[in-house]
Amino acid sequence: MVRKIFVIILLIGLGWFFYGMADSFHGSDSLNMTASYYAENGAEEVGAANLVTAIVVTYRGLDTLGEVTILFLTAAIAAFFLKSKEEFSKRDVKPSSELLQTAAGMLVPLIFVLGVYVFVNGHLSPGGGFQGGAIIASGLVLLLLSKPLQKVNSRFFALVESFSGLFYVGIGVAGIFLAGGFLDNSILPLGEFGTLLSAGILPVIYILVGLKVGSELSGLLTKFQETQEEN
Amino acid sequence: MVDSILLNPIYIIGIGLGTSFILGFFKSGRFQAHPSAMHSERIKTAPWVLMIGALTVMTFISAEWLWSFLFNGQLPQQIYTAGFEPPFSINLLMGRNEAFFTLMVNLVGLLSGLYLLDKFKEMGTHALSVYLVLIMGLNGIIMTRDIFNLFVFLEIASIATAGLIVMTSDVKALSAGFKYMIATGLISGFLLIGIIFAYYFGGSLNIDSLAEANLTTVQGGVFAVFLIVVSLLLELKPFPANGWGIDAYEASPVGINAVISSASAGATYYVLSKVLIITDAKWYAVTAVVGIITFLGSNLMGIKQTNAKRMLGYSSVGQVGLLLVILGLSEQLGNSFKFIIFGIMMSHYLAKAGLFWLVGIVKTGILKDWGILRKKPVLVFFMGTFIFALLGLPPFPSFFAKWTLVLTLSAAGLNLWVGLILFGSLIEAVYLFRWFGYVLKLDADKERSLSTPFYRTFPVWLFGLLSYYIGYVASVMVPGGETLGMFYLPLAFVGFLFIIDRYLPVWVKNTLSMAAMALYGWYYMAGLSEFRMLFAIIFIGGGIVTMIAGYAKSGKRVGFYPFVVMMYIGLGGLLLSENILQFFISWELMTLGSYVLIIRGKKSMPHALSYMMFSLGGAFLILAGFGLAFAGSGVSSISLDILKNVTRYSGLIYTFLAIGFMTKTAVIGLHIWLPGAHAEAESDVSPMVSAILLKAGMFGLVVLMLAMGSQSLGGVSLPYLLGWLGAITALLGNLMAAFQEDAKRLLAYSSVGQLGYVVFAMAFMSHLGWLTALAFALNHFVFKALLFLAIGGVVMRTKTKTMYEMGGLIKRMPLSFISVLIGIIALSGLPPLTGFAGKWLSYNAVIEKGWYFQGFLVSIAGLVAFLYCFRLIHVIFLGQPKDKFKNIKEAPIAMLIPQYILIGVIMLFSLMPNMVLKPIGEFLVQYFPDGALQWDGGTAVSSLGRWSGVAIMNITIGIFGTILIWLLFMSRKAVKVKQFNIFYSGEAPSRPELTHYGYNFFAPYKKAVGFLVQPLVTRFWDGIADILHSISDFVRRLYNGNGQMYAFQVILFVVVFSIFTIG
Amino acid sequence: MDFGLVAVVVGFLLILIGIWGILTQKNIVKIVIGFSIFDTGLHAIMVGIGYLKGRTAPILDSAVSPADALTSIVDPVPQALVLTAIVIGLGVTALMLAYVVRLYDYRKSLDISSYEDLKW
Repeated sequence: MVRKIFVIILLIGLGWFFYGMADSFHGSDSLNMTASYYAENGAEEVGAANLVTAIVVTYRGLDTLGEVTILFLTAAIAAFFLKSKEEFSKRDVKPSSELLQTAAGMLVPLIFVLGVYVFVNGHLSPGGGFQGGAIIASGLVLLLLSKPLQKVNSRFFALVESFSGLFYVGIGVAGIFLAGGFLDNSILPLGEFGTLLSAGILPVIYILVGLKVGSELSGLLTKFQETQEEN
Repeated sequence: MVDSILLNPIYIIGIGLGTSFILGFFKSGRFQAHPSAMHSERIKTAPWVLMIGALTVMTFISAEWLWSFLFNGQLPQQIYTAGFEPPFSINLLMGRNEAFFTLMVNLVGLLSGLYLLDKFKEMGTHALSVYLVLIMGLNGIIMTRDIFNLFVFLEIASIATAGLIVMTSDVKALSAGFKYMIATGLISGFLLIGIIFAYYFGGSLNIDSLAEANLTTVQGGVFAVFLIVVSLLLELKPFPANGWGIDAYEASPVGINAVISSASAGATYYVLSKVLIITDAKWYAVTAVVGIITFLGSNLMGIKQTNAKRMLGYSSVGQVGLLLVILGLSEQLGNSFKFIIFGIMMSHYLAKAGLFWLVGIVKTGILKDWGILRKKPVLVFFMGTFIFALLGLPPFPSFFAKWTLVLTLSAAGLNLWVGLILFGSLIEAVYLFRWFGYVLKLDADKERSLSTPFYRTFPVWLFGLLSYYIGYVASVMVPGGETLGMFYLPLAFVGFLFIIDRYLPVWVKNTLSMAAMALYGWYYMAGLSEFRMLFAIIFIGGGIVTMIAGYAKSGKRVGFYPFVVMMYIGLGGLLLSENILQFFISWELMTLGSYVLIIRGKKSMPHALSYMMFSLGGAFLILAGFGLAFAGSGVSSISLDILKNVTRYSGLIYTFLAIGFMTKTAVIGLHIWLPGAHAEAESDVSPMVSAILLKAGMFGLVVLMLAMGSQSLGGVSLPYLLGWLGAITALLGNLMAAFQEDAKRLLAYSSVGQLGYVVFAMAFMSHLGWLTALAFALNHFVFKALLFLAIGGVVMRTKTKTMYEMGGLIKRMPLSFISVLIGIIALSGLPPLTGFAGKWLSYNAVIEKGWYFQGFLVSIAGLVAFLYCFRLIHVIFLGQPKDKFKNIKEAPIAMLIPQYILIGVIMLFSLMPNMVLKPIGEFLVQYFPDGALQWDGGTAVSSLGRWSGVAIMNITIGIFGTILIWLLFMSRKAVKVKQFNIFYSGEAPSRPELTHYGYNFFAPYKKAVGFLVQPLVTRFWDGIADILHSISDFVRRLYNGNGQMYAFQVILFVVVFSIFTIG
Repeated sequence: MDFGLVAVVVGFLLILIGIWGILTQKNIVKIVIGFSIFDTGLHAIMVGIGYLKGRTAPILDSAVSPADALTSIVDPVPQALVLTAIVIGLGVTALMLAYVVRLYDYRKSLDISSYEDLKW
């Protein structure tokens, strides 16, 4: 109880500070220096209709490389310290219902296709590699829920993950030689604005990100599934 | 073109990341989990070799850049990504600082990667990937100029760290990792709010653009600045919101700790320093305050630690605190800032990584089990190296940095900061030296062996040797560094002794060392003038004579000679010093050397620690005094002459320096280290430390008083105070000597008392006073060395220092008896020997000065000296011989030779006192022209009377000779008493020592004046130590191990910090 | 009504709620949930900061031509940042849960006060 009172006092202090911050926020009437640069030049320089994607993959490409690295890290850490249970395959788990199994069988391929669609079109419409990858992983969740005893080949995910990661770094390095610097988008021609095959190397990167995120999240999920203890 | 061969720094990131992705292609999982034949050793290590290769290339790139910055005039280079210019794309910067910091990170990453081979084999390729990504992330943190990108790299680093903590894979590590994640999660959340608001108010994410936006002047922008600064500070684990970090230190595998402590701390520190450019002066001040609190708080916590990793964790956090102080005060430090940071950073970096690696080699965190390290003396050597480097002792980089720091801060008038920094350093020294003492002294578990594969010792060796090299580099860079050439050759000889130490027998090393010292004296000291020459005779001449006793030892005596020579180099260096830097380095070298000599004694561990504490405390006072003098003289010079030109703070400077020097002369109140240290030391070390080393403090006082004359503080004349202090020291020192049962302790306390005479006499600030003091210094050396050697010889044979266990040794050890007899006659100031000359002079001086009451105390002290001298000779040599010593032999010849050389010196001086007094008097005239002695041939004439050494000798010998002959004649018919004809008058002695009359010899006196020798001073210092320990023990309860508590502390830190800064 | 400000205020409230959870819940799974709420608050603030009244998404399609972009889209930068932040938050959450699983393996307890081995 005393503890909660302290926490409340602390939160009041923090809240008071946050009040000051929110109070200093007045919205904006126009884009600031950075944003207006992107609004004016993004389409021309990167060739992506989705400006957020242009920023994520190109202008701030290093951040994106960093964030896939974080997912990679998480998967790697989980892999080396989540010990697989030896008795995994002998577990006595109730099978899921017929309904779920059938529906999953139908839906999972569709979900995968949707995921791929989302990351392939990341430079044109809302969505992108992360979103697509997450959708793919959600398909896997469904699969695992419907077939709890299914042994998933996590080695496959690891290979896809490493491959796409390496390819991503390779594209970045290629930018140094073929264009203006690490992760430069213009090593492929920008193409016609608004079409699928446009925006230079950006869609390729986003596909790789999609594959990488999808495989990393899937890898993580299988890892969790293998460690799962049923009573 | 220089540029063309430089590899693009982005490859550091690219190679780091690319390789960790490649590692994913290898079969994953723990290698141990698959013991099947499929996995041969080569396949096991292939991924590891790949990672090491990547780290090598990364290290090479940084090194290449640093090289061209330093030697090829390379200009800083911006690295654009995505082909667009900042602030619209993320850019990296490779400048001199970045090259330096990335090299630090990559090198320790490489070495720790090597070191962790076993661990990685066990954990598999995933751990390798994570480790490599951590190092890559730290590089990114250092190079990026975009604040959100910085956030991403920080996250990479902290997630990777959280992952690597659990490489030890037990529940402790897991819970530590979880707490670490809670805390860093909150911190990065706050950072993110700060960043997004900085973007809102500044319109950019580029650090340089944000700096131009002057966020602190924008209404609301200050919130963003606050959150960014506070979260970066929190990343550096400020006290007391750092329990999560400390737990992580304790839980991590040591190779990872080395990276966290050396590399992560360095990188995060650098981040803070580069982000602070978006703020203004106020935030620098805030950083300094957080830094000093962290420095003091963490070191205080360190005192109570019993686990090496946790203790080093506190020490790491403390060191980062010190770096923060320096960063915060960078404005005030001006041009010296970079040098100071360089020095402190390098020492911390090398030493902390080295010490953590050693923890892994010893394989135990329990400090008291560390004696096992002695199985590998080289590693003990490097451990000492690291600890000395961490504490800022010469010749390591942090010494020069701290020196410059103190001088610059003093010049800027920031004396409080100087005081706090030095105080914190002293606390840090307590636990580090205690630890080192355990290593040197505590018994090792004989069963255990120390496995030291090459890949684990190599990093230690490399960083150990680098510490010396970087120390050399720093010594050249420091102002006045060009005058340090005088140390090179002598220290090279010390290095040579270290190398041959384990191979040559003691007599070879003894001869070499004596020859080297003779050369040193002849080559360096020949040109010395005046009183410096006098001290040179004591230090070097005396040193050589006492070293003759070293021939009595057999075997190799590993770890002795390098330190003996180091001590004498320090002592000699004091005399050669022309500037305060040389002087202070000499002072520290002497302290270091003597510390190791003292701790060699059997039971001397606690005494050596207290010796070190008082010495360091004294050294810091001296440093502070020099700093003030540097500031107060108004000229920016480090010459020793600045003491003569001080215009400000003169009373304070005088006080600091005098107290600093008196820690070595062991004036009452600062003496508690001495008896133990001197008494427990080996038989030839005692004369060195007691007869010679104490004079270093006296020499300091000589320099001080000649330069500054009489000063006063708060209206009180300081020499007057010194006079009282000297008199009281003389009396109490002698009284305590009289009540000792231990012969060497008796002599040690006697030294306390006699240095009291010296201080007393010098305080006169008159010709006769100084003549007394200087002549007495010489005499004290001669008879105290003689006595310690003689008693040392006896102790060597009897294996006990307790006097009542001896007795009647005159027949078995007649030569030693004569030595002691002559020694005590000289000591107690009886005619005809040298001591009498001193007495005569001092009475003249007292009468002339008119300090009658103090003089009275001193003369009582002289009477007490008779008592203990009598006891010394009586109890040991006279009376009944003990059964067990019936067949005891005379002391070894090597011990006797120096004794008889010294006896010869005493005789010479006694016959011809003018040989000593006249030259001293002659040069004293230029400082104290009035009241000089007149010389009439061999006869001294003062205003009060005359005295001739030869005449006194003749008269005394005449009188005593007559009496002796008469006694011998009368005792022809005396009845000899048999050994056991002792009667107890019906009283049954309850304890064996009561059967000896020598036990509690002066019991009646003790009843009368015992209250004077109550260990009040000891209790006082013990009390201080207790208070520190209690505070430490109380405050560390904050770290209750609960993750929520730590989270609470982090948030509380934010709230409190906001109240103090923007509230 | 300024949705930007609403998002920011709601974001701050969510942060406070998240912290409340982190500091008061004994169950480590709930603490992780607290973190998720905390993260959500952060993301709301970021998006709110980039919002401009009456403007549309920063995608240049039939609705917004590249020429009008300057005056008709919201700030794309915070959206890009929030994407990164979400992914990072996801990684952290996943890792925390992995810790929880392992901790539970050792002690069969989800109470955070069972894991105070290292202290002082």
